[in-house]
Amino acid sequence: MNYFFELITKGVGFSRIGRIICSKESKRFISTPNIIIPMKKSLMNNLKFLEEFEDHEIFLILKDFYLQIGFLRDKFKKTGFIYTHNGSMESFKGILASNIDIFTEDNIIPSIPFNTPTTVINKEFAEEEIKIFIEESNHILQQHNNLDFGLSIKIYDYSELFDLYIPIIKNNKNVRILNLVDLFDNFNNFRNIIKIIFKIKQELDNNLVLMVSGRIIPKFYPILIYLGVDLIDSSYLLYLSAENFYDTIEYLLPIYKIKYFPCPCTICQRDLKHSLTDKYSSEKTAQLTLHNIISAYTYMNKIKLYMRMEDFRGFIEKSSFDDMNIISTLRVLDNQYFNILKYETPLTQINKVINCHGALSYNRQDFQGFRERLINRFTPESWTKLIIILPCSAKKPYSESRSHKKFHSVIRNYHDFPDFQEIILTSPLGAIPRQLEDIYPVNSYDISVTGEWDNEEITIASNMLISLLEKFDERIPILCHVKDLGYFKIIENARSKIKNKIYFTEVKNNLTSNESLLSLEEKISELKDSYNLGDVIPENKNFLKTLTRKFFKIIDYQFGLNTGNKIFCNGIKTWRNKRSHQIEISDLLTREKLGKFNASSGQIELNLKGANRMLPFSENSNYIVFDGQKINGNTLFRPGIVSFSPSLVPKDIVVIFDKNKEKIIGLGSLIVGSNYIKNSITGKIVNVYEKI
Amino acid sequence: MSTKKYSDNNLIVEKIKKFRSKAIKQKHNYEEKQLDKPISFWIKEDRLLKKKGKEFTIILRTKGCSWALGPDGGCSMCGYVQDSTFEKIDQAHIKNQINYAFQQKLTEIEEDKEDYVLKIYNSGSFFDDDEISESTRDFIYKKIAKIPKIKELVIESRVDYITQEKLIKMRSSLDIYIEVAIGLETVNDHIRNAYINKGLFFKDFLEAIHLCKINDIGVRAYLLFKPPFLNEQTAIDDCVSSILKLAELKVNTISINPLNIQKNTLIEYLFYQKRYRPPWFYSLFKCIVKACHERDILKEVRIISSPSGAGSKRGIHNCLKRECNEVMIKSLRNFVLTQDINHLIRSDKDYSCDCLVKYHLQKRYI
Repeated sequence: MNYFFELITKGVGFSRIGRIICSKESKRFISTPNIIIPMKKSLMNNLKFLEEFEDHEIFLILKDFYLQIGFLRDKFKKTGFIYTHNGSMESFKGILASNIDIFTEDNIIPSIPFNTPTTVINKEFAEEEIKIFIEESNHILQQHNNLDFGLSIKIYDYSELFDLYIPIIKNNKNVRILNLVDLFDNFNNFRNIIKIIFKIKQELDNNLVLMVSGRIIPKFYPILIYLGVDLIDSSYLLYLSAENFYDTIEYLLPIYKIKYFPCPCTICQRDLKHSLTDKYSSEKTAQLTLHNIISAYTYMNKIKLYMRMEDFRGFIEKSSFDDMNIISTLRVLDNQYFNILKYETPLTQINKVINCHGALSYNRQDFQGFRERLINRFTPESWTKLIIILPCSAKKPYSESRSHKKFHSVIRNYHDFPDFQEIILTSPLGAIPRQLEDIYPVNSYDISVTGEWDNEEITIASNMLISLLEKFDERIPILCHVKDLGYFKIIENARSKIKNKIYFTEVKNNLTSNESLLSLEEKISELKDSYNLGDVIPENKNFLKTLTRKFFKIIDYQFGLNTGNKIFCNGIKTWRNKRSHQIEISDLLTREKLGKFNASSGQIELNLKGANRMLPFSENSNYIVFDGQKINGNTLFRPGIVSFSPSLVPKDIVVIFDKNKEKIIGLGSLIVGSNYIKNSITGKIVNVYEKI
Repeated sequence: MSTKKYSDNNLIVEKIKKFRSKAIKQKHNYEEKQLDKPISFWIKEDRLLKKKGKEFTIILRTKGCSWALGPDGGCSMCGYVQDSTFEKIDQAHIKNQINYAFQQKLTEIEEDKEDYVLKIYNSGSFFDDDEISESTRDFIYKKIAKIPKIKELVIESRVDYITQEKLIKMRSSLDIYIEVAIGLETVNDHIRNAYINKGLFFKDFLEAIHLCKINDIGVRAYLLFKPPFLNEQTAIDDCVSSILKLAELKVNTISINPLNIQKNTLIEYLFYQKRYRPPWFYSLFKCIVKACHERDILKEVRIISSPSGAGSKRGIHNCLKRECNEVMIKSLRNFVLTQDINHLIRSDKDYSCDCLVKYHLQKRYI
């Protein structure tokens, strides 16, 4: 391996789980995201600090004293270090030169500091200073071109000055870490922060490690990680501790306000509790510092855990309630940057409950991505003669809920029920055709239901319903079996845009009451033959089977219009693999296995036989062209990729072509999206699950 | 030699001038009587070249520093010009100021056992004819020559006004050790010009040293500790490198001036916006110790420092506890008088303030 950062899993937004490779030989890695803990004398003197952080993965060294090789090797064997200097560039250069052997070792990365000036008086002043810094840094980077560096980036509140740094980063491959020193000092400037982050992601190598230092407090950690930050310097907590602030994550409280300790750490429960009454005491400051660092460290561990085990976006939304700027950042990202972020956010999560926390969740990237893809890739079945609109249910998939089972007890009594297109209205996803009820996020979202809809929810659902209904023949009647006012408003909105006739059932008490279900039955009977289908009923009756209908639409959703017709042209036979909880799919006539449906991810994993049926291949579908005729190993790396479709989304299934794009040579699950592939020269791209 | 325009200092000049014009607007109209008395004068303990002694300092009221009153606005941290008249004053007044100070203190000087260093400061340049004319300078030389207790003389000037003729004249008039104090502030041209707006290049300073040396006149270099736009550690690094460089150049005295916040200056504006904090004593001590410890610098060069406003919010201070700052001031004074670095090295027995932890935790951000 010849690269420094390795992306392992792509998460929501720009978030990512990765690792920094310190030593190839000893397999020493620093996992990211992570916090960097400063190695300060005042902390090192405390035994509890050493006990607590003995195994921490990355420290910040500010004194050349700590560079002593024996010290690093003996005390912190599993640790990586970033070295920087708080003083002048001249001193940094001197320390670098006199410790060059130590820096050549692989677990310590020097970061070029940008300390002077501390502040600026206007933009021109800032620009001049940045130019001087860049010139000096360039010199260092070229002089030590065999050494990897971090580069400090200061913009002094002038976001446009970031452009000055782009050439030095591009021209020096040994810049591995971008240390954003002051970008997050003022979160009120969230628009500028977002602009710079997007510039970094779109113009620079995506394998650059993003580090932030400066005035960062833990409550911002989740949003920072969402913005793609890999390393967070926790040093500012030292400053706050010296100002007597106690961090509870949600709040930063002056210590005199602490009457009860919300933190179970030993410092809070023993030492700090006893020294609380001391007005001025260096011991108290030291204990407070330790608590604040432990608290940040624990919070970061929580974030790391939730990134892997829970819906991280949901966690960010929850944490955003502690600061309005985080909410604004999320809103701006969702509403203005979706067209870029949609190639960053996976459209699947496995075994996670996606809780919607209100308006902030309505337009999360995966929801928007889902809606957009559904609208673009869903086509009505030609034999549809009645559209039935139903409400959603709490249990997922809908058809397993009590209410939908009751609806089905009526609907499926009709032998021609496959001719009915059921559409489920739901917040905040919108309108879901029954066939797609098993895919993400339909299979896993949850929202508080009170029967009251806000305007945004109504707008989202109305727009989606209209887009879906516009795909159907305007003569097909629409029957609505809904109750609450919100549903009626949505349907009213749709009525104004479409020409189909809309009918309602008579609902008494609730939708599942006998009277209501009777009304549903009566209306279906009344309407189902009102639209004359002609001879569009498929000859192959297999197409009318529930699972076949689902898989047709799911494969279209995954690979684009008409894919289902190509792959499942003969109809399909399915059986449930009880061990793997997957549904195996094979051709009805030839019995060839074509793939399997994974209920956890909501995806169909085609096999090569299935994929080959997609040929000739649509340019809009997910593909990658490999620089060769045969794939070795189970991972496809960036250098092996010749071209790729521009709309790849992480965790989508992708077809891998040979060099001449004539033959499908493999299938895999994408690790990253097309933005990353475009903006990187190294890194893992695809986990190959099948190859020739 | 003339003051050269530093290529990129126009970025800061406009801002400095804004504050300078505020100072000029608040100009004080001095009565004739006031112009006959110096701004201030005092006697106190001081370090002479090789031993302890006393200083007799006279601060003259003149027209004011030409650099500060000129088109370049002056230095970003200097507000001394506020004590000046801004307009040319009759040289008789300056002679009267000298006479007045000597009248008040001459007996004390003559009766004292200690030797004296006379420091004549005019918040500008002693050799600037606009501030102090040649005849006034001659008058001062003659005055000093009559007092045998005065063993040393210190005057200050920008390098622009230090000429061979003026030095020869001074040397030939006085038979005592003379030191010309030059506000070098730092050996770093960029910090000096882009941040301080000194309008001085190091190479010009070198020329000035050369002139002084060939005329057997000593050089005192002022270093500004923690100039604007620097943090504590950079201030330490910068000052250490300046001390080492000046020691190498064999200047006679290095006077370290920790920055203090003066009225109507750019630094005051930054200070009010919490974008600048005057240095900590800890940093100053660390700097001197770092530069002198394990080296023989103090055998060659005298390092002195008598900070203005020490212990106050606007001057060098640690926390605002009186005891903490007093201990520091005392240690610094002892060091200056004895030139013994051990006064600056804290030991466990010494008074230790809780603010040391705060300093260590916060110095990266201030």
